[in-house]
Amino acid sequence: MRFPTLKGRRLTSALLFAGAALVAGAVIGACTSDEEDQQAQAQDQQQQQMVQQQEQPQAAQPQQQQQQQQDQPAQVTGEARENTVQLVKDRGTLLCGVKQTQPLFGFREPDGSVVGFDVDFCKAIAAAMEVDLELIDASDASTRFELLANGNIDVLIRTTTITASRDRELAVDFAQTTFYTGQGFAVHAGSGIGSTADMGGATICVQSGTTTEQNLADHFTDLGLSYTPLGGSDQETQDAFLAGRCDVWTADQSNLASRIGVLDNASDFVILGELISKEPLAPGVRDYDSEWKDVVNWVVHGLIAAEEMGITQANVAAMASNPPNTAIARLLGVSFEGGEVSTLGFDSVGAQFIQRAIAEVGNYGEIYANNVGDAVPRACSLNALASEDKSNCPVGTGGILYALPYR
Amino acid sequence: MSELPPIPRPEQLPLPQPPGQRRIVLPPHRERARRPWSVRAREWIRRNLFPSPGGTTLTILSAGFLGILVAGVIWFVFFDANWNVITANRWLLFAGSFPRDEAWRLWTSIAVVMFLIGLAYGTWSSLGRRDSLFIVLTGAFVIFLMAHGGAAIWSSIWFLVAIGLLYVGYYLTIWMPRETSMRRVWQQRVVGGLLAVSLPLVLIILMANGGATTRQFDGFVLNLILAPVGIVGGLVIAIPLALGRASTMRTIKWTCTAYIEIVRGAPLLGWLFVALFILTDVIGDNLIINTMVVLAVFTGAYMAEYIRGGLQALPSGQYEAAQAVGLTKMQSMQLIILPQALRISIPPIVGQAIAIWKDTTLVTIILTLRELKGNADSAIAQSEFIPDRIEAYVFVAVVFWVVAFMMSRVSQRLERAQGIGER
Repeated sequence: MRFPTLKGRRLTSALLFAGAALVAGAVIGACTSDEEDQQAQAQDQQQQQMVQQQEQPQAAQPQQQQQQQQDQPAQVTGEARENTVQLVKDRGTLLCGVKQTQPLFGFREPDGSVVGFDVDFCKAIAAAMEVDLELIDASDASTRFELLANGNIDVLIRTTTITASRDRELAVDFAQTTFYTGQGFAVHAGSGIGSTADMGGATICVQSGTTTEQNLADHFTDLGLSYTPLGGSDQETQDAFLAGRCDVWTADQSNLASRIGVLDNASDFVILGELISKEPLAPGVRDYDSEWKDVVNWVVHGLIAAEEMGITQANVAAMASNPPNTAIARLLGVSFEGGEVSTLGFDSVGAQFIQRAIAEVGNYGEIYANNVGDAVPRACSLNALASEDKSNCPVGTGGILYALPYR
Repeated sequence: MSELPPIPRPEQLPLPQPPGQRRIVLPPHRERARRPWSVRAREWIRRNLFPSPGGTTLTILSAGFLGILVAGVIWFVFFDANWNVITANRWLLFAGSFPRDEAWRLWTSIAVVMFLIGLAYGTWSSLGRRDSLFIVLTGAFVIFLMAHGGAAIWSSIWFLVAIGLLYVGYYLTIWMPRETSMRRVWQQRVVGGLLAVSLPLVLIILMANGGATTRQFDGFVLNLILAPVGIVGGLVIAIPLALGRASTMRTIKWTCTAYIEIVRGAPLLGWLFVALFILTDVIGDNLIINTMVVLAVFTGAYMAEYIRGGLQALPSGQYEAAQAVGLTKMQSMQLIILPQALRISIPPIVGQAIAIWKDTTLVTIILTLRELKGNADSAIAQSEFIPDRIEAYVFVAVVFWVVAFMMSRVSQRLERAQGIGER
């Protein structure tokens, strides 16, 4: 076969190479400018802030000023921060990251809709913002925070425990806790195990690679007892326990209750009252976005306050048209006997954002009853037995839900 | 010569006439065949199952094992399992958040695809009895699932119509006269063209004029869309890549080699992360489109190597012969080299297609998209079905197996039609 002359081939090659280089350059250029556009993203901010903090001692600035700058990172770099409130309103859609595989908290109905305790808070926030809601699947534990940092979701409501390291090390801020639970234990009925002190030498099913596993190890170190862990996924540990391959199954107590309570032979198992850790489950938002965090935070507080004040989905409209007292009028953003209505600074979402949230999903107690109440009933009364669960009750009834004053 | 009678085969010869009551002695194999079936069965069993003490032990052991296995499966499928988790969630597993009012688009797409499959079968192959049995069983399985509870009569009828269309398409092509090679070539061209536009056509049916948005592709529908896009897109990318890598021009060769090596060097999981976190900035926020791009790019790199294998398997005589009859490089590629190379590469290409089909489950793990397996996870989070996860996963496994098996059958048909392994 007669090939083109060497000269011609070289020329073609050179041209092709130049073309490829141009394309590569253009792509790199486009990517770089994209990154510059989105420097407001949380991870970039953290890096910038770290760089600046490193530079500051060299500049030998007064201690006080440096401290101030650390406290107010938004002013340090002087750049426009990503404002999720504005972003969501412009988009007209709230992107809410929820779990779709968690009984009671986030799962799907046969018709394809996503429902659950966490989902109701997404609905409340979307209603407060007067935008549509798109539920994004954040079932995978390992990518959930990246989804938030990357902007795939605006808020993460996915049975996520607040911990100091997550708050500090990841690009996430937490709003008010929506559900308090703790790490509990389930045992086989008649096994004679009444507390963790009886579990010396027991085989314990525990989900691998979780804080649950670490808590268990810490607790047994403190007790000075030995045990045999049997690891696996959430559902594998369930199977192993139900099949009798382990004596004890440990997980979040709400999770244990929701998975055991629905079994035909639920009475064969006992969930112990003892909790060995705190697991406050809270909505997560991006770091350095206080306006958005405020909105999420106060929607949750508003729903808790609504339960305290007796405002329900059914009577919220009547209460709004004829508020019985000033506190309720303020919470619902309506005038009390001809007085002035204040937005309390929530100008971007309007004075009635909590009212809209209540009208959408009801108060905290209703959300709880609609989703979790059957499996994990709460006993909201000061006369409740110590064994009954009342953590997620308003503070006046023995629980620890404490709505901050809305004024 | 032609007047001579044919030479009789030995068994056609008349048997020697028995004088009196003398017993006829036949050759051993015919003697055995004359005995009653019960005697033959007993002999077969003795010879094949209990030939020696060792063989007897093995037979008893494996019979026991098989018996336990089969009994276990029957016990699980018919008595132990609670298949309500599937039947109650059939819409969630099938289409999830696909708008229910637009379900006719799904049925229409299935009908169109079935018709095209029928056309293709009639053009390049034939539907054997086993194919028909498989189609009928699969159809019955689907209709059972849909009609359970009597809620989906219309969907079942649609599905029956779709299966009927498969046979309509098949007999249409069979019935068409194709004595002359030109007609046959034209038939192949028309059907091939229809197949080539089928994927865009299905997407148009699903999405055009107020249909579903890509974000609403969900459940099994998502698997059914992603896998063909990955496979077809991959092939489209792979052919120029393979030719490029075999090229003598250094720049082209290096570019193609770099593409193949870089893409193949990282796992699909890694590329899906790219779709999620990097392509969202480059292409756009639509994760389904990003996933399609990644799947096609990834599959393309693998398939390019298979096609290159096919190119290299061709004897150099083919290249030289093409050159000798005066074909240009382009013509020889198009007419001589590529058809043969692609034919050789069919088995590994179908293997990759099956792999990509199963890999579509990865999008749930990484991409916040929900496909069949992910929706099964969601179904068993419903309070009443928490104990039924084995049923859900067995169902998902069966569905994936059925589709993979279909691909494998089609591959076998293609190979036979192309005469692979018969040279």
